[in-house]
Amino acid sequence: MKKQVLFLPALILLTLFLAHHLSAKVYIDIRSPSFRKFPIAISTFQSSAPNQRNMQLGERASEILKNDLDISGFFSLVTPPGSVEKEARPGGSDPPSKPGEDRPATGVESLDFQPWANLGAEALATGVLSLRDGSLTLEARLYDVVKKELIVGKRYIGEITDLSRMVHRFADEIIFALTGEQGFFQTKIIFVSQVGGFKELYQMDFDGRNVFQVTNHKSICLSPRVSPDGTQVAFTSYKFGNPDLFLLNLRTGEEKRIASYPGLNISPAWSPDGKRIALTLSKDGNSEIYTMNPDGTGLTRVTNHPAIDVSPTWSPDGQRIAFVSSRGGNPQIYVMQASGQNIQRLTFEGNYNTHPSWSPRGERIAFDATMGGGRNICLMNSDGSDLRVLTANMGQCEMPAWSPDGRHLIFSATRDGEPRIFLMNAEGTRIKRLTFQRGSDTYPYWIPRLRESSR
Amino acid sequence: MVKKSSWWLVILVSIVAVSFLAAGCAKKSVVKEEVAGRPAPAVEAKKEEPPPPPPAPPKVEPAPAPAPAPKVEAAPPKAVEPIDLVGLRIQYAFDDYSLSSKAKENLEKLAGWMKQADTAKIQVEGHACEIGTNEYNLALGERRANSAKTYLEGLGIGAGRLSTISYGEERPLDPGHTEAARSKNRRAEFVMIK
Repeated sequence: MKKQVLFLPALILLTLFLAHHLSAKVYIDIRSPSFRKFPIAISTFQSSAPNQRNMQLGERASEILKNDLDISGFFSLVTPPGSVEKEARPGGSDPPSKPGEDRPATGVESLDFQPWANLGAEALATGVLSLRDGSLTLEARLYDVVKKELIVGKRYIGEITDLSRMVHRFADEIIFALTGEQGFFQTKIIFVSQVGGFKELYQMDFDGRNVFQVTNHKSICLSPRVSPDGTQVAFTSYKFGNPDLFLLNLRTGEEKRIASYPGLNISPAWSPDGKRIALTLSKDGNSEIYTMNPDGTGLTRVTNHPAIDVSPTWSPDGQRIAFVSSRGGNPQIYVMQASGQNIQRLTFEGNYNTHPSWSPRGERIAFDATMGGGRNICLMNSDGSDLRVLTANMGQCEMPAWSPDGRHLIFSATRDGEPRIFLMNAEGTRIKRLTFQRGSDTYPYWIPRLRESSR
Repeated sequence: MVKKSSWWLVILVSIVAVSFLAAGCAKKSVVKEEVAGRPAPAVEAKKEEPPPPPPAPPKVEPAPAPAPAPKVEAAPPKAVEPIDLVGLRIQYAFDDYSLSSKAKENLEKLAGWMKQADTAKIQVEGHACEIGTNEYNLALGERRANSAKTYLEGLGIGAGRLSTISYGEERPLDPGHTEAARSKNRRAEFVMIK
């Protein structure tokens, strides 16, 4: 974690071209119901010093960019004929001219857009990498193929290990330039992994790269939930024997125990303004939902029922809390005012609906359920209407969590044996497996953007 | 000795009565519709009448409830036979925490032993199967542990000698993903603590 922090200042961003192209043209109206996927081409990134290593860097960079844009769901990737074989064998070296490939120091004029236009591409992303004295530079550009003009041009300088971060950053630029919205390609996911008998918190890039261990409790850590500003994670750990609630600063590594009442101290959920944490305690003899300040003070009881109440999740406006209760005889999703008033049952189908996760954007709640022939991820409106089962034939699918833009879900599934983290869009398609390390991976939670790193 | 065994007869009778009663109001089924409307039998009973400690005649109570008073420190210090705590492990039905007659039998054995080993302290560990998210299963595991603890208290074991912890689905007895494995994992275990 400290390493990552150190790299941040190493990554310097220079705007190559001044903002005269930042006219507010929206290429992709992603809110439109008739939204169609935007055809974009990505040329294999060139390297100014094409030794073997740099070739791999270039191909790696364009692969990362393709993966990012593909995951976003906004694009159809235009593939030039002949490039498929090339990409199938990494290191294959036949750089002779493909249509429109960028050359070092190429201006718009010398780029031939026609072949890309013939393939149906409306935009083209190119990149040039150079490595000098251990310092890696990426010059990346996005062109409007139809108008034959530059949309965005950026130069990134950093260490060689920053390659994927540079590309993610450029991918965010592409999303912003074409849709006017912020991308999530620089965000990270925190999750629980069981390695060697312990369950610890781990962190990775949103696409599964750069996995590293966050906690070392040598115990069972569960339910990591990151504050809306992206700086602190609340989670449950058995470090001191009992399931207590901890708060860990992801930047400084400072950790403190914020709830250690007798019984359960579990299932934390940050209010959208970051000022309260909803959680489940059983100190009064039965699991109930409470809220408190992030430092553990100001505890307020919210539910009061002899059945199990657990797993709160806040609405984006902070006014309501959805949660799981067994008061109807088995676990179902309920919603109430954050004060505990006006409790309503939302789910009536299925007999085991748990782990609600309220979309950060709007009135949708994802949860896991015994529906559709197994444990699956489901989605409904926050009034309980329009219930859909999103997953199928992926083993036990559990613990859904939203992307910051509310368009994607991450979850844990046993499709390939042990539980792994998967990513899909909120329609249940474009499923990608993210984790491949040893052990089992559960409790994914998408870390919101750091507020400071806003553009 | 004679007195003691007649006590046990009373306990046995009361247990049979109680378990008939429990069986009547909470029929177990894996499908688990039965729980609908269930006002949480065992744990709920906490606030009700402290029920029959050993010598008292069985009353009509939904479930044995705790005897909160520090009670019945039986048997002078003597060589107590060790007990197989693992063998006393008790099983539960899916998404349920009510005690089966077999579970009660085991708890009675345990209570009997704890009365002899009168300094022993036991932690009841509640566990759940892998179905459903662990947050709910942690709560379910705690209910299972509490139902066992409450029953032991009803048999006269002081609350100070009993504690509970829930591991939810985190410590499966059988790591498999079959129904047989899951069934094994819906359990409470007893661990001696200092």
